[in-house]
Amino acid sequence: MINQQLAEFSNLLIILTVVLYVLALIGFGADLSGVSQRRSDARLRSREAARVPVGAGAPAIGAGGGAEAGAGGGSFAADDDERASALESRDSGPAADGIADGRGAEGDARPAGALTARGFGFVMAAIGAVLHVGAMVLRGIATQRVPWGNMYEFSMTSSAMIVVVFLLFAIRRKDLRLLGTFVILPVLVLMLIAQTAWILPAAELTPSLQNSYWVVIHVGIAIIATALSGLGALIAVLQLVQARHERTLAAQHAAGETRPQAWGRAGAVLSRLPGATALEALCFRIHALAFVCWTFTLIFGAVWANDAWGRYWNWDPKEVWTFVIWVVYACYLHARATRGFRGSKAAWFALAGFACVVINYTVVNLWINGLHSYSGL
Amino acid sequence: MAREDSRKSRRSEQGRGETGSQSLSSADDRQAPQRSSATLPALGAKGMALFLWRQLTSMQTALLLLMLLAIAAIPGSVYPQRNVNAQITEAYIAEHGRTAEIMDAVGLFDVFSSPWFSAIYLLLFVSLVGCVIPRLLVHLRQIRSRPPRTPARLTRFTGYTRVELPSADADAIAEQARRTLRRGRYRTDALEEGAGARSVTAERGYLRETGNLIFHVALLGVLVGVAGGGLTQYRGQITVIEGAGFSNSLTQYDSFESGAWYKPGELPPFQFTLDEFRAEFDTTPNEHRFGQPLLFEADVTATSPETGTFAQTLRVNEPLHIGGQSMFLLGNGYAPEITVRDPEGNVVAQGPIITIPSGDMGYTSALVLKAPDAKPQQMAVVGFFLPTGVIDEKGPHSQFPALIDPQLALTVYTGDLGLDEGIPQNAYQIDVSSLTPVTDASGTQSLLRLAPGQQADLPDGSSVSFDGVRRYAAFDIKHDPFQVFTLISALSAAGGLILSLFIPRRRVWVRATPLAGGGAVLEVAGLARSDDDALEGDVRALAEKLGAPPAAPPTARPEAPSEASAQVPSTPSRPADPAPPAAPGTTREGPTQ
Repeated sequence: MINQQLAEFSNLLIILTVVLYVLALIGFGADLSGVSQRRSDARLRSREAARVPVGAGAPAIGAGGGAEAGAGGGSFAADDDERASALESRDSGPAADGIADGRGAEGDARPAGALTARGFGFVMAAIGAVLHVGAMVLRGIATQRVPWGNMYEFSMTSSAMIVVVFLLFAIRRKDLRLLGTFVILPVLVLMLIAQTAWILPAAELTPSLQNSYWVVIHVGIAIIATALSGLGALIAVLQLVQARHERTLAAQHAAGETRPQAWGRAGAVLSRLPGATALEALCFRIHALAFVCWTFTLIFGAVWANDAWGRYWNWDPKEVWTFVIWVVYACYLHARATRGFRGSKAAWFALAGFACVVINYTVVNLWINGLHSYSGL
Repeated sequence: MAREDSRKSRRSEQGRGETGSQSLSSADDRQAPQRSSATLPALGAKGMALFLWRQLTSMQTALLLLMLLAIAAIPGSVYPQRNVNAQITEAYIAEHGRTAEIMDAVGLFDVFSSPWFSAIYLLLFVSLVGCVIPRLLVHLRQIRSRPPRTPARLTRFTGYTRVELPSADADAIAEQARRTLRRGRYRTDALEEGAGARSVTAERGYLRETGNLIFHVALLGVLVGVAGGGLTQYRGQITVIEGAGFSNSLTQYDSFESGAWYKPGELPPFQFTLDEFRAEFDTTPNEHRFGQPLLFEADVTATSPETGTFAQTLRVNEPLHIGGQSMFLLGNGYAPEITVRDPEGNVVAQGPIITIPSGDMGYTSALVLKAPDAKPQQMAVVGFFLPTGVIDEKGPHSQFPALIDPQLALTVYTGDLGLDEGIPQNAYQIDVSSLTPVTDASGTQSLLRLAPGQQADLPDGSSVSFDGVRRYAAFDIKHDPFQVFTLISALSAAGGLILSLFIPRRRVWVRATPLAGGGAVLEVAGLARSDDDALEGDVRALAEKLGAPPAAPPTARPEAPSEASAQVPSTPSRPADPAPPAAPGTTREGPTQ
């Protein structure tokens, strides 16, 4: 029944995926530190330029803009643009704020067409995601069922889902690729935990998961919901950090600082990210989808439970926690529509929701006994 | 969801009626300071009630109650719950003594029927009703009324575009705008303004609020469905041994529970026979896989007045629906066939005895057999059935759930079983403390270990023989007349939710003002009343379309303001007067969905 050779091949692909994700992480990480490094270099240059005596300085800057092929002046201008938009919530940045634009604006003397660190990270992540999905498909073929019958498979499939959803978002919005580090790192951690602590040999499903298409629908939607919750939490964290960063900049601006800058290299990275308002909108978008997915997880789970156990609701720990997740995300959506809670306060509800997702996934699976004891451990 | 939004929109609609300054009230939907309750004067009883009602139906209260609901549910997953498993709960209480009794008193073992949990969700639903009814009335009124008037100044709205068209006619532009917007499923209204100016006001996305209301009303439906089901349903557990039959009457149930409105005697007539029960277990030599179940199947032959006689295989996830009831395969175990003879040689017990799996992987099953007819004293046989038996330092246990080496490990007692006192006893349990174990000559208790076909003779002359093994299956039978209603409510809630989250509600205005020297000025702007990234693009596209009809040359846009010409990437696209922060529709490049 079980094709062990295919299952072995699937495991091998997972290892390769991990390697590629590590490479992607290196690329994204280098990109992040490169952004902050280039930013502080540019700032240093601008400081030095400002120190040049006025009489000689004015023409020098004017010439520098043209003669240095936009090296100093270009990044200078970009700096001003970005800072100005940072102060007004910075959602007006150009759409093509990706590799090409970043390179042009930063004005590094890099030949056109060369692979940037971010591009390298993106390509590695994309190849990794293809192998990752391939590994899960092979696992499914090897076991002749959906590849989410236990905790190991659920982790591997949902982490593939997270990467794929992120890459899909990032194909069109190249500025989001800057977030690659924050996506690939947690995914890698999850995969390594699953690979070391939760791994199980490929096997058939336990009878309570057999004979039901609901295992495809209910668990499939739960995987999508989990992936969306993870991505949403990431955006919520960035939104909170960005909002605080912008408040600091605004305070400096109000104090008369013409070039407000805060938080060193982290601040430089934040200045390249979308503004808090744009992140908030993205955060809501993801959570709106996630909430719908959690709603259907509950409803389809109830329908299945009615077929399998004769009760559509059992107050099983997994059900209780999914209900808690649903209610907390409902809080988030309501908070967003409530005066005094919009923005940062609402984001905390989203993070509370994700904390419940994590509890539901780890504590409930591993330490609380219930009808949903499918971790296989 | 957008409960607060529409409450404000109600206020804004009212404000419009009073002052006519609709442009301000609609623009400030999301951020205008609302009347504050901090400066309330002394309240009478009626005022106080109104105040409390407003508090209860306010968004902040709803938020608080939702959060409380989430927190209150958590103990229900941490502590054992009576309604989920009464046995485990009682064992937990017995183990934890006084602390557990206090926890029990505050309802930590009945969280979901506790007064505090009920109070939270009932208040939440009251709050919901108090919020939904006024909104429903407002929405019904809005659906029948015309879109609000065009604001006097459009410059501050999303995507504001101004185009001068030297050779265009204001009336024609307005008419075309109206037709275009109509085609875009906008509700439109053409207005004649002073000095020959014409404007079109349009609104779209009423389904957003409709969906929102459906969602909340359908949640009420789910609550009604659950409550109705709780009052009218019944469910019971039965255990049937292979080859034996079941006929649907109360006496046949091991346990039976029903709602308050269930009338006894409503059980539909049907019978079935369990022809065979099959189970398969994994033999993969892996600590996580070995002994895990692979298959449970029960072949039954059922008969009911409506369906006649038919055969069906029940599996987990494949229940039997018969006579308005559903029957679910939920458990299984072994029933060893045993014959017991008393010291006088009479057969006092014979047949399959249902044993209770102890929950380990190998189906080590507890066996209790009571023989009240034995003479000279009543007899009891107590011990274990082991599908794949070993007896080692851990005592008798089974290493694998299938019948590889079936064994019985038994002890025999004599004495008064207490069955004649009229107190109902659990057939699967016995208290042996008042009974005398049968011992051999040296005084040690006789331990019987039997394989199928074997017989053991005890020192007192009695005997136990192990004749064979059958399997049994445990089924739940239930009937819930409200479950379809509950499902439809839940699906309606999900549908309403999707509408309320993903349909943008927006207003679009077009104004055409005749120019003194001929031609007209076209102004287009929009207002996002929800997250609406596409609004700005749509508004500009509309302006493009209206500004470039076949009658007017496309080059006729000399005086378009800089924010309208969105082609230069470095130009900030936001208007000089930023739109309200909660309307991210002002972003030119938004998230991609």
